[in-house]
Amino acid sequence: MADTLNLSDSDRSSSSDQSVTNRSNNRSLRIAEKERRKNEAEDSFVLAVKYFSEVEEGTPVFGNDQLDRNLEVVEKVAFSKGLSPEAISVLLEFAMSLCMGNSPCVRVLKCLIPASVVPQQAVVRAVVWLNVSKIPISTQVLFIKWVLTVFDLIDAKDQLRAIYGFIFSFITEENLCPYICHLLYLLTRKENVHLYRVRKLLELQSKLGRQPFLMHLLSLYKVFCPELVTLSIPSRIRSGFKSYNLPWKSALMGVQKRNGLQVSSSISSAFTVKEKSISRKRKHCHLDLPALSSALNKEPQSDLTSRRKMVPLVQLSSFSQMLKNMHRIELPAQMGSLLGSSLALQYLDCVQEESTLLRLNFWLGCALHEEFLFCSQTSEEALQFLNNLLSVQHFLQCGLMECLNNMLLKWLTWHSVYALEDDLDISLNSHTSINITLSGFKDSVMELVHFVGRLASLGLQLEGCNTLLLSFILDFYETASDTFLKFDLPLVVMPPPGVFYPALLATDPVSVDRLAYIMHRYKLNLTSAKSQEKRTEQAFHISRQTFLEFNHYLVFMVNCLWNCRMFHANTDLHVREELLHKSNVPQPWARFDFIHHPAFMSYAVDFHQKCWPGRKAVDLDSIKQSKPWSWYLEYLFNQGFDGLKDFVHSSITKQVTPGDERGDSQRR
Amino acid sequence: MEPLGESVMRTPHNGAVVQRRSKTRSYRRSYRSCLGTTSRLCLTPALTTRRLNASRRAVKPQTLTERVDPAHLALLVKSEWQLSYVTPLYQFRHTQLKSYSKQLSAFIVAERQQGLAVEVSELQNSYRVSLSVLQGLTESENDPETVLIQIHSKPLFAKQDEPQRSVWSGWLTCIQGSPEYLCSLSKDFTCLPLFGSRGPEYLSRVVKSWFQKTFDCCFGPLEINHTSLQWFVALWVDCHSQSNIQHLKMLWTVPAEPPLQIMYTVDPQDAWDLWNSVKKEEAAKEAEEVGCIELEEVSGYLEALKSHFYRHFRLDLSAGILTQVSTALGLAKDTGRIKMSNSRHVIATLTLLTECALLKMPI
Repeated sequence: MADTLNLSDSDRSSSSDQSVTNRSNNRSLRIAEKERRKNEAEDSFVLAVKYFSEVEEGTPVFGNDQLDRNLEVVEKVAFSKGLSPEAISVLLEFAMSLCMGNSPCVRVLKCLIPASVVPQQAVVRAVVWLNVSKIPISTQVLFIKWVLTVFDLIDAKDQLRAIYGFIFSFITEENLCPYICHLLYLLTRKENVHLYRVRKLLELQSKLGRQPFLMHLLSLYKVFCPELVTLSIPSRIRSGFKSYNLPWKSALMGVQKRNGLQVSSSISSAFTVKEKSISRKRKHCHLDLPALSSALNKEPQSDLTSRRKMVPLVQLSSFSQMLKNMHRIELPAQMGSLLGSSLALQYLDCVQEESTLLRLNFWLGCALHEEFLFCSQTSEEALQFLNNLLSVQHFLQCGLMECLNNMLLKWLTWHSVYALEDDLDISLNSHTSINITLSGFKDSVMELVHFVGRLASLGLQLEGCNTLLLSFILDFYETASDTFLKFDLPLVVMPPPGVFYPALLATDPVSVDRLAYIMHRYKLNLTSAKSQEKRTEQAFHISRQTFLEFNHYLVFMVNCLWNCRMFHANTDLHVREELLHKSNVPQPWARFDFIHHPAFMSYAVDFHQKCWPGRKAVDLDSIKQSKPWSWYLEYLFNQGFDGLKDFVHSSITKQVTPGDERGDSQRR
Repeated sequence: MEPLGESVMRTPHNGAVVQRRSKTRSYRRSYRSCLGTTSRLCLTPALTTRRLNASRRAVKPQTLTERVDPAHLALLVKSEWQLSYVTPLYQFRHTQLKSYSKQLSAFIVAERQQGLAVEVSELQNSYRVSLSVLQGLTESENDPETVLIQIHSKPLFAKQDEPQRSVWSGWLTCIQGSPEYLCSLSKDFTCLPLFGSRGPEYLSRVVKSWFQKTFDCCFGPLEINHTSLQWFVALWVDCHSQSNIQHLKMLWTVPAEPPLQIMYTVDPQDAWDLWNSVKKEEAAKEAEEVGCIELEEVSGYLEALKSHFYRHFRLDLSAGILTQVSTALGLAKDTGRIKMSNSRHVIATLTLLTECALLKMPI
């Protein structure tokens, strides 16, 4: 069969591209060989295909038993197993060349069920035949419908796109127009959109009136080139193209299922032109998420060539597509529209540009102001909107902690600004209606910090002390530790053990460093609060409990990192002796000092190598000697652990060697 | 500045721009430094203490006719405008107004004939839109130029040669917008927070929708609240010596059953005399406050008006709210409608309204 195929192809080689033919020949050769070896019983099918590749033009159809027999064989195989790419090439060529007239052409087209892929080459040749042979319109329609059905199975689209203009020219044929529009819709790239094509389509529109297929194609043109054409789609129009009565669809699915292939059903998923907007009454106009649409006036500095390469976010339909185009995604005209699609949200998560987020912020702020702050009744749309926001929030998790941190920050700032300004009328007019007393405010802040503490403990537990989550939580405590000094609020709230210990025992040095910084800030706040209390003898004071908690943490931290006395009595960590013994960990009390702490171990090893480059055996304990110890600390501080530096300098008064019992910790 | 007439002596003006108290500014700086971390959804420029000025410069009458096209001025002055506030426009360029005009007219046509696509081209035969800079209508150097939008159209059953008529107009402006706010925005944004429109509602809607889609901004209604209306009362009455206010009319809504609306009309001379009695002596003011009207004076004036009313009618207007103010210089309604009848006070009016619009910006 391979030889014959080769022969038949070279017969026609005058009209086709030689190199491409050779390539497909090689492939067909290979596959044909394999098939022959695999199953001799398929001989009749091979012979049938051979017949169609060789049959001479003008062979009579009526009374041609051979043709009937071969057609039956092909149909049987097609509907049971599907056709190989080579067979499809041969049969499509046979059909579209009208070798034996129209009726076998239709019959062949109707059984063109691909087993795997459809060779692009065959489709391109068939499209060329559309123009050359006198194929009846109904058959042409059938062919285009077939292309639409198998579009996702065509092995490449580049050559089809190359003949975009050629395909476009069929649009004037009234019966073909809807299907051609659909095909163009699937093929269109930004570079295909030109003013003359827009004008042609508009001309058709004026002739045919409102036609969904024109509308959809034009709206895609608008996505790519909003500067050329504009269009507003009525909300009652369904999105996407009509699903035609496609004769191949069920057979195709059956074949693919049998062949164990994943059914690619993108035929209908590729085009959601516009989200249906349900709001008939325009009362809550701010609550509609805007539809994703491409920006009209791009930054003027971006030149034309780079702009051609940009991909509008609307065009992306999968995560992998997004990853592929990450560097050239064009943001939509309205940032609010991002909230409507999870894919867009993925992208939003990576967006760093300030003005982009500011746009989103303006939109969200305005919607929230208009619909919730200035309007009291809640409605279906409002709930919908809030649900949307919730899911977005859920999507951008970790964001919650950040929000709470911001809330605290804003509150405290509000307090510090207004407290200073209290000579001015705070509740001037209706613009600010918030009027609360200092103690009331203090209580609310305390409640917030406690609430976040509980939330954080629980979150860390659930997420297995996720480092990222921990980082956001520490962000929060960076704010919370400074309430007195930075914001002038006489209130200090310590983190709960559920936050403190995971941070101290974290495996990444950054968390430990930040905790050290936070403890350092707590200390400064507490000492200055205390000294102010003494000086002014004011009634306010920070509860004894807070000092106790702080000291408790501090002692533990110093014991753990510095004194190698982790399992000291009076700590929150109660581990029974025998359990420790069972674990077979040598010197368990020293496992979390600056040298053995999992977060710093690698630094210790590195330091050891730098300090004693000659030594073969690593003996970390040798760092504990007085001199290397201070060098080691210096080395750590030089790695950028400023938090540790502050902590050590402020809380450990004497630079003493570890193990020396006098690692003095600050006590009150 | 205009030469001051004799009658102006009682309300001397100096050209000095009122400085906000330096104290306030330093707080703001401290606020900024506090904001160490920023969230992805909380990046709006730092502005917490935005509020209505407690003190504002008395109206400096300006002859806008010299710097603003008289036709434009006539358009501004003759009609009543419905106000909205607008969040900052993203990627708006004053140099692109021509192409915006094309886009907007195509957009209007497309909106009118749902489902039919429209080429974005020079000529739409049903609508002609022009966006232009309203030259000269700015006050401080930070203010972006005012943009005027006009829509012309032919009536439905017009004759062939009949010219297109103006069917809708609107403008976007920023007069003496808070410099802190304006400077805090990045270059990608243009802040024209005050939007006035006049014409059929559907066109307003379409124009707003186009701006939203094109510049990623949001529109919201701008009501003129009780306090701002009181300011208008004071600012206008204060001008009486330069241009006769003819009358001072205030509409009060009193919560009674059934709801009671009270139109309180004051003789211009009486209003002026009362104002002078309430106004602080210039000498008593601090140096930087000379030529300014203080909120204190405004509320004092309103109190005086209310107690006068109470003496005559035994009805305390404090229970109600001011919903509309008008003099010969202009009209302001709480629903956000404004009319500026005298071109000399356009800037002052728009300054106050810009401030109101900026207050509405989401933080």
